[in-house]
Amino acid sequence: MTLLSVENVSMHFGGVVAVEHVSLTVRENQLLGFIGPNGAGKTTLMHIITGILRPQKGRVIFRGKDLTRWPIHLRVRFGLALAQQIVRPLKSLSLTDNVALAAGLQNTGNPLKAFLKSDRTKEREKSRELLEFVGLGDVASSMPSQLPLGYIKRLEIARALALKPQLLLLDEPLAGLNQKEAEGVADLISSLVTHQCSVLIIEHNIREITRICPEIYVQNNGHRLLQGSTDQVMASPELRQAYLGRGTS
Amino acid sequence: MAYEITVLTSMSIAILFALSLNLITGFCGQVSLGHAAFFGIGAYTAAFLTKAGLSLVFALIPAALMAGLIGILVGIASLRVRHDFLAITTMGVGFLFVGLVRKQDALGGEIGISGIPSVAFGRPGILALSLVCTILFILLLVHIRRSWMGFAFESIADDEDTARILGINVPRFKLFAFVIGTATAGVAGALYAHHIRFIGPDSFGFVESVTVLAMVIVGGIGSIWGVVFAAGVLSVMPLWLQFVDDYKLLIYGVLVFSTMRFAPEGIAGLARMIQSRWFDK
Repeated sequence: MTLLSVENVSMHFGGVVAVEHVSLTVRENQLLGFIGPNGAGKTTLMHIITGILRPQKGRVIFRGKDLTRWPIHLRVRFGLALAQQIVRPLKSLSLTDNVALAAGLQNTGNPLKAFLKSDRTKEREKSRELLEFVGLGDVASSMPSQLPLGYIKRLEIARALALKPQLLLLDEPLAGLNQKEAEGVADLISSLVTHQCSVLIIEHNIREITRICPEIYVQNNGHRLLQGSTDQVMASPELRQAYLGRGTS
Repeated sequence: MAYEITVLTSMSIAILFALSLNLITGFCGQVSLGHAAFFGIGAYTAAFLTKAGLSLVFALIPAALMAGLIGILVGIASLRVRHDFLAITTMGVGFLFVGLVRKQDALGGEIGISGIPSVAFGRPGILALSLVCTILFILLLVHIRRSWMGFAFESIADDEDTARILGINVPRFKLFAFVIGTATAGVAGALYAHHIRFIGPDSFGFVESVTVLAMVIVGGIGSIWGVVFAAGVLSVMPLWLQFVDDYKLLIYGVLVFSTMRFAPEGIAGLARMIQSRWFDK
């Protein structure tokens, strides 16, 4: 069953075409890889889905609702979560509190409700559980500034999971990690589908994405190139052309 | 005794005013350079009402409402911009307020309003009222800090974009902080007007906005007790030492510069550092 449907979306920045007439679907409990060369418009499309950018044309349908004009926080409350390419932990909060804030989504719905509620025990427990799940149980009380990038990438995933999303959007979660760290984070991502959550993952690390994703969507120069099973996509001449240029297929 | 009461009242009003800015700038991370305008709105509103015969205790409510209402309008217009843009926008609001008051004869123009009535029980009465308002606001801030509202404010002050992707309605929380902060500045202004019993546009200009911001910075942005201490000390220093009054801007400038350069977390940060080095062993 379709969870997310991006329909015929276009986004231009001045004269530059970032995304043009792109359509994409994500099914329930699907782990979909999203690849394309630099400048393909991957992050732009991700930002359109999360609401950071609003497309000039097209629609974003999620769980049957048209979210195209919804602000970011409402999309998050409706079941979308994003782990960003450039990690941005809340530096003044411990890892536990970073995740607890996300776990307390129902307490931050409006200022008045937030004013009347103080207890954080349940959310901190949930936070420690999730930090344990992503392998950060030992450093749960540390501050983000004390930890290396690999740990912060895991924190971003734990924080996104705390929002109980139905669709998790991961923007280059393996960027900047060494091979061992990348393998660890990739294994973690592949296990997320068991959390009854679909995952759309943008990644340049083709080795890891082909290892964990059964299906891949490819975009090039702002256009949809192809979507299919990982084996089909990797064997396609169009993919080789997109990465290596004409005459290489 | 009358002198001590005057000093304590000035101190209490300054603490209330500084804490109202601390909610906006310290808790929620929104730098305002025009906070004195809301202090002024409260002062003028209460002065008119008490001159018309209303008791100050009852005039505090419309003073807070008027300052909070203007705060909502300014907040809606300006809180979508961030950082330096917000600072410049709020600075503009401060200039607008002074410019407007100067040209309105109904508001006393350049001359201001004098003959503001005293409150019941005279100077001890205004001291008691100031202390009650300040203590109540400190209790409110302590509760906000512990609540999920404080948690959300902290995330907004840290990184607005990250707060958004954690499902927080950032403009609404910012507006809430702005309204509570400006309404409280209005109360502080009303108390000030009845303490000094004379107000004019110069009492609410850019210098006052920067002065109160200096109290927040020196005390420690976001710290309740640091700001209470800094506002208390900095508000009475000009009363005790003549040269501080003569060189007020210079001294405040040096203090802000030194704090930002050597102790960005202010007095509160220094206290935490001393505690962790000497007592937490």
